[in-house]
Parts: sequence; structure tokens; C-alpha cells
Amino acid sequence: MWPEWTSMLSWWQWTILALVPPAIVALYFLKLKRQPLVVPSTYLWHRAIEDLHVNSFWQRLRRSILLLLQLLLVALVILALFSPSWRGTQLVGDRFIFLIDNSASMSATDVAPSRLEEAKRQVLALVEQMKSTDVALVISFADTPHLVQPFTSNRQELRESVAAIRPTQQTTSLSGALRLAAGLANPGGGTDSEATDAPKPALAQVLIFSDGKFPDITDSALSGLATTFIPIGGRSAHNLAVSAFQVTRQEENAERLQAFARIENFGAERAQASIGLYLNGELIDADQIDLAADGEGGVEFNLEDLASADLELRIETADDLAADNRAWSPLDPPRRARVLCMTSGDQPLELALRTERARELAEVTVQPPSYLETAEYRSRAAGGEYDLMIYDRCAPREMPQANTWWIGRLPPAPGWSAAEKVDVPQLIDLERTHPLMQFVEMGEVLFREGAPLTAPPGAVSLIDSDRGPLLMIAPREAYQDVVTGFELMGGERIGTNWPLRPSFPVFVLNLLEYLGGRAEDAASLAVRPGQVVSLRVNTAGNQVEVVSPSGGRTKVRRNSRNTFDFAGTAEQGLYKVFAGEQLVRRFAVNLFDAAESDIRSRPDDAIRIGQTKVEGSTGPQPVRQSGWRFLLLAALAVLLVEWYIYNRRVYL
Amino acid sequence: MSSASPVDPSAELSLLSPEFLARLEQLELVTRKIFRGRMKGERRSKRKGQSVEFADFRNYVAGDDLRFIDWNTYARLDRMFLKMFLEEEDLHFYMLLDTSASMDFGAPSKLDYAKRVAAALGFIGLTHSDRIRVETFSQPAGQRGPVWRGRASLWRLLDYLNKLEPGGATDLATGVRNFCLRNPGKGILVIVSDLLDKAGYERALRLLVAQQMDVYVIQILAAEELKPDLKGDLQLVDSEDDDRAELTISAPLLKRYEQTLAAFVAGVRDYCTRRGMTHLLASTEQPFEQLITGYLRQRGLVR
Repeated sequence: MWPEWTSMLSWWQWTILALVPPAIVALYFLKLKRQPLVVPSTYLWHRAIEDLHVNSFWQRLRRSILLLLQLLLVALVILALFSPSWRGTQLVGDRFIFLIDNSASMSATDVAPSRLEEAKRQVLALVEQMKSTDVALVISFADTPHLVQPFTSNRQELRESVAAIRPTQQTTSLSGALRLAAGLANPGGGTDSEATDAPKPALAQVLIFSDGKFPDITDSALSGLATTFIPIGGRSAHNLAVSAFQVTRQEENAERLQAFARIENFGAERAQASIGLYLNGELIDADQIDLAADGEGGVEFNLEDLASADLELRIETADDLAADNRAWSPLDPPRRARVLCMTSGDQPLELALRTERARELAEVTVQPPSYLETAEYRSRAAGGEYDLMIYDRCAPREMPQANTWWIGRLPPAPGWSAAEKVDVPQLIDLERTHPLMQFVEMGEVLFREGAPLTAPPGAVSLIDSDRGPLLMIAPREAYQDVVTGFELMGGERIGTNWPLRPSFPVFVLNLLEYLGGRAEDAASLAVRPGQVVSLRVNTAGNQVEVVSPSGGRTKVRRNSRNTFDFAGTAEQGLYKVFAGEQLVRRFAVNLFDAAESDIRSRPDDAIRIGQTKVEGSTGPQPVRQSGWRFLLLAALAVLLVEWYIYNRRVYL
Repeated sequence: MSSASPVDPSAELSLLSPEFLARLEQLELVTRKIFRGRMKGERRSKRKGQSVEFADFRNYVAGDDLRFIDWNTYARLDRMFLKMFLEEEDLHFYMLLDTSASMDFGAPSKLDYAKRVAAALGFIGLTHSDRIRVETFSQPAGQRGPVWRGRASLWRLLDYLNKLEPGGATDLATGVRNFCLRNPGKGILVIVSDLLDKAGYERALRLLVAQQMDVYVIQILAAEELKPDLKGDLQLVDSEDDDRAELTISAPLLKRYEQTLAAFVAGVRDYCTRRGMTHLLASTEQPFEQLITGYLRQRGLVR
């Protein structure tokens, strides 16, 4: 960086100053006129300097070195009078909190080598400017904040901590980081009495180094922080991202698979890209896509049936952010739900549970109601071994740890009640949008009698009659309970003709699919980095092992909801779940975040915290770093050298 | 010629104090060589001759005077020895002074110092009836210096010395050659000079070797020559030939000068010693009386 020059003198002063160097040269030549001194004889003097003549070069140099030093001295003084200065930054304050964004978008390479490295470089530059009494702490944040370095005045610790920050593939959340910073900014906190006795600590400066790819902070409590936003990255960045990727079986032909992907163009220019589909790491299909500026488009691949495979989609064209150019989808054989049905004999129900499709979806165990009294039932119900439990005209004492379907009975849970049985209730409405009621056609269904239901808060009525709801579903902790306000068999008489209608097995299939955990599985097939994934695994053990894409292994224990909750999803890619040696599940972690993929910086380079708008700034406090002191010090050093050489006559 | 010139009695005080003269009276000039004077003097000559004081024996060779054969020894040893006697004779004492311009330095000046040495030695010689001749290097070849004998000539000697003025360049070789041409005889020669001749002192001293004189070289240097107190950028001008040397005086140069001077003096002393001459370095700061009664006595010129 070139210095800026400022004149400290007027023109006539400069004129006088400009005469100094020629005057020095003139005086030097005058000084060369040596004073004559008569001595008895120059005989010995000539002999004395004879051998010094070999050093005549040094003698001449010594003669001129004093002149050169004097000229250098004057030059330094003149330069100092020009008051050279450099544009620099200066930290104002004595307590600093550096917030460094290491989310996925900070891996963008529109700033070389990457935005994160640029942010670290800027933080390190500020650390170098800290005075010895200043303290600072470092927080890195993506979707969650991480305290990298507590308050310290040790610059070496700060340097090492900042250097240790690594990029993540997670989304960005600033509010958590600000909350952590606010908590650490005044660690004492203190009561009012302490506050009156002790001097209040200086307000810490919060410096946010980020590309701003996060929503504005609405928490006004955080707007009290002295915050500076230093935007990293530019607006001209261009990026293509996979925003969705899914593999499904064709409805008409279950043996064929279809892979769909959506590609978005986060750039101001039209973009073309080649898309590759990889099966177990090998390219099996490719396509081209042409996207308008800020446009999006889809690609579709047809695949043969694959029992189990890793599918990966890649945007082969390079752009500024590589993290969102890949997406994964595991292809697993569908997991069969575990269902326990307790009935004293209900042929239509049992038939519906034993259709070919039902057997694909679920593994159904039928037990008589007396089974409820056994210790085995109590153990299994409490252990969450089943995904769905069907109680046909029977009820246990306690609710099981599973989804339930109650036929002609009320669950022993608070909030459920039924009115007196009414004869021939007329069906007036169905909740067709609910997954349980999809494709369920109830037009010809008649009910002989039914008890209108009252359900706990949050329940949804699936079948409404003129007397009240006859089929309801209500959430219970992590489970859902479906209650039928009528009996299918009804003792001697058939309570309804629904089991004889085609819609009944369809409803049972919906039930098995929805409450058997398949819907949940489908949702958990793809999660975002950092999210918790809840896994349902058909395994007898209470522990599984999750292997990350990079090979890291984590043991996960079964929780009370019969699932395995895994939080270590920081990495994108395919995760494999092992029960012992057996691969039991796979799931994908994909970015799929438009906010992270749109790496163009904020239009106004400002962020909003509460009601406060924090303008982006290039640094803490731009100041001119003046260099005249250093030049005067150098001039003083030259003067000392000249004095020494003159007095000691070093070279002669 | 000097004996005819009027004498200035005050000159005595400028060169020699009466107290010092009293001390000098007790001294006499001696020589390590056997000289033959032209007149009988009161000094016992090392020349063995016809005298009353026995000196030595030597083998008889054909042609010797038979009168000096020691017959007693012949009777005992059956060999003939010649009996030798010391002959009393006068001493020729020469002083050759350097009056070049370079001698006009120091406090007192080197020439003044040289004059005092000459006056003191001359007085010693005159008190013992020696023949005293004082000459200078710049004296023309055909012009001999005055000769004095006897105490009464002291005033003339002093007057002569007082009238010597510094000037001209040092030319040791020419001065010595002229001196040798004028004074072919033997005797004691005391050269008083700074020896700062750019042509070198060696040739001049070599001429004296053939002269077979008992030579004493008293080299006089001023204090500012022995330890120059010079500073800064100077143009040194030679007082004799106007030669100039541009110097920036520095500590290393001063050290180098002192080394050169020491080497020069050591060279002169070595040269003289090898040729049977006696060299003595005198500083003008050194008390003149100490030089005569101390150093010259130690070196055997006076006793």
C-alpha cells in the first residue's frame, strides 16, 4: 500500500528546505580545503600513510560517507515533514468479541482462497493491532455457536484459536452466537448492589465477520450490543445449487425408480451445467440443464430397480461454492412396520391386515385381549417395541409407548371421552387431506350405531357424523392415537358395513403406512447438516452405530420413543447405520438451503438486529497511521552513526 | 676566524648556566679509539709511544726500535717483546650540527637544544685542552669551521653557537661528505641532528665509517614529533621543501605514525650499532643537563 503524503510546510518554507542539501554539499567541499600546518618534516607522515594507501578507497568513501549520511539525514527529515501516512485500522476499546461465520456459504471461493480464510485473515490482522492490555474472545458460528477461545490477552492463543476454525457445511444462525456473545461480554452479570459498588466493565465490541447469509435478528434485546458487521464476499458471486433430490418408485411399476432433482441458479447471468448421477460412486447417467438468471429447473432420471444403493447427484460445472453442488439419496428396501393387534376375532380386520400389500408394509402379530394381562405385553408396550398397536374392543390399563388404533374403546388417556351411543349416525364429512383418509371412499358406508367422540386438544376429526365425530386422531407425546367411535363387529350384529367396502383395506393400508413409521422414515431420509435425525430401526438391540461419510463412527442408544436420535450430522453425504455388523439403515444429509446457496452478499451490506440497522464496514475504525515518527527516529539513528564515524574516524 | 670576532658575555647565560658549568668542569671527553694528536696534550693517548707511563707489551718485529725491547723479559723467556708506553696527546673533538629549517621546532627548539649540547661538550673539551671544532651540515665544502682550545675560548664557542640560525634543507650526505673532506684526521665526532632527511641517513653515516672516527649520533626530536597533537583534516607542509601531505588525522593514523617513528629510530640505532657508532635519542622535553651528565656518561662519551 502506497503512503499518502501531506505537506506540513508552505511553499517558501519548502524552498528554504530545498536549499539545505546543496548547502551541505557546498560546505562539504569547503571543508575539503584543509587547513595548512607547517611541520618539521612530512617524511614520517608520508611513510605512515604509505601502507594506508591500499585503503584509499575506504578513505575516499569515508570522506563521502559523511556527506552521504548528512544528505540522508536531511532527506529523512524532509520525508518526515511530508508526513507520510498509511490507511489502516485501529481497534477502539479494550474488550473484543470476534464472531466468525463458518457456515457452508463461507466456503465460497469468490474471495480467494475462501471467505472463511479471508475472515480469519482480517481477524488476525486485528489481533495484531491489539494492545497488550486488550482482551478478546473468539466465537465461530454456523447453525450453532461455538466458543473457540475465551477472553484472553494472549495474542498467540488468539492466533492459534482463529487458525483452528474450520469450515462447516451447516446453515447460519446469528442469533445464537449473539446471545452467547452477550452472555460472555459481561461474564459477571451481577446484582444491582454489585453493579452500584463495582465499576461497570467497558462495553465489549462485537465484530461479526460474515457474508450475512442469515435472517435478520428479531430479538431486540441483542440490539444493545456494540456491534460491527464486517461483510465478507461480493455481490458478483455466481453459484448453482441442488435444492432438492429425491428417488421414488414409479406408482405404475414398482420395479422402476425415478430420481428427481431441482437445480437453482443463484447468479445474475444465464448458466449452463452438466448434471451427473452416480450410483455407488460410478457415473450412470448425465444430463444438461440451462438455467436463466435467478432461475431454476429440474432433471429426471429413470432407473431400474435397485434393492439397495447410494445415489449421488453432482453439478459437474464449477462455481463459487462447491458445498451445494452434490446431493445424496439412499435407496433402501422399505422397512416393515411392527404391528400388534389384539382382537377377540375380527375377520375383516384380520383380512385387511393380511393383504399382500399389508404384508409388505408391516409385520402383524395378532393376540387375544387376554394378552394384555401378561407380563410380556407390559414389557413390550413399555419398551416401545412396536410401531403400532391395535386394540379391538379391548383396552390396557396404561397407554403403550407406540402409536395406537382403538376400535370401539377409548384409550386410557386424559381428554378422551365418548357420548352415549346413538343409532344410525349419518356420515356428513371426511378429512380427505389427512394421510389416513387418502383414497378412502366412504359413500356407501353405513353405521348402525356409534358414540360421538371428544378428544384432547390438537385432535383432528377424520369422520364426522351428524351426531359428532366418529373417527379422530390425536397426538400424545411423540405418538398418535386413532380412536374409532364405533365397533367393526359389534358383538352379534355387524356394527357397520365399512369392513365390507373396498375403502376399509385402503384405510388400513394408510394406517399401516402412516402410523407404522413410513411417513416419518420418508421425512428423515434427508436432513440438513446439523439437524437431529430420528431413526426407526428394526433391530432387537438397544444400540446402533452410525458411520459418517468420512468414516467417523458414533454409537447411538435407543430412546424411550423407540427411535435412535443422532445429532452428528455436520457433514454432508450418506450416513450408514449398523446394528452389530448388519447395515440396517442409511440416510442422507444434504444442504438444500437457498439462503446458504445464494452466496451473493446482502444488497445493502447491512444487517438488522432488533430495531438497529448495523451497516457493514470494512474494518473497526479506519485511521491514518502516520509514519513521520519512524522517519525522525531513523534520522536520529543516522545522526548518531554520522557522529560516531566523524569522531572515531572509523575508516581511517 | 671566530677568535677574532667580539664576544658577547651574555651568550654564556643563554646556553649554559654557571652552576652547570661548575659540574661540567669535573667531566672530560673520552674515546674508545686510539688517536694521534698533532700536539702533545695533557691526555693519555691510547697511542703507545715514548712516554713514561707503561701501557703494554707486544712481539718484536723486524724494524722496531731496539731501545724499547724489554731485555729482562728476553732474558727470562728468550723471546723479544717490545715495551710500549702511553703517549700523552691532545684530542680532536668535532661537532657537526644540523641547522636545517626542520630544527627550528619545539620548545625549546631542536636547534637550541643542539646548541646547548654542543656548548656543554665543547666546554668539557676546552677545559681539558682538547681541540674543539664545530661545523654545520650546511657549511660550504671549502669553508672550515673554527677551532678552539683552552678555557678562554669558551666565550667564542658560545658566541659562534649563538649565531647559528636555522634555514635550508637537510642534506646529511652532502654535509658529512664535506665534513670528511675538510677533516681527514681522527677524533671524536658528535653529530646532532633530527636525521629527518628524505634521502635517508644511511649514506651519510656510511661515509663516517671509513673516517674511523669515534662517532656519536645524537638524534634530537621535538615533543610534537614524538607525540603529535594534531586533529582534523590538515594539510601538513614540510618546513624544508614545502612538500605537502593531506591528512585526516585519526586515531589509527596517529598510532601508525608512532609505529613508523619507532621503527625509524630503531633503524637508526641498529644502523649505528652495527657500524661502531653510538646513537642517542633526545627529546627537547628532556632536561638537557640530564642528557650530558646522565646518558652521555653512560654511553662513554664523557666521564
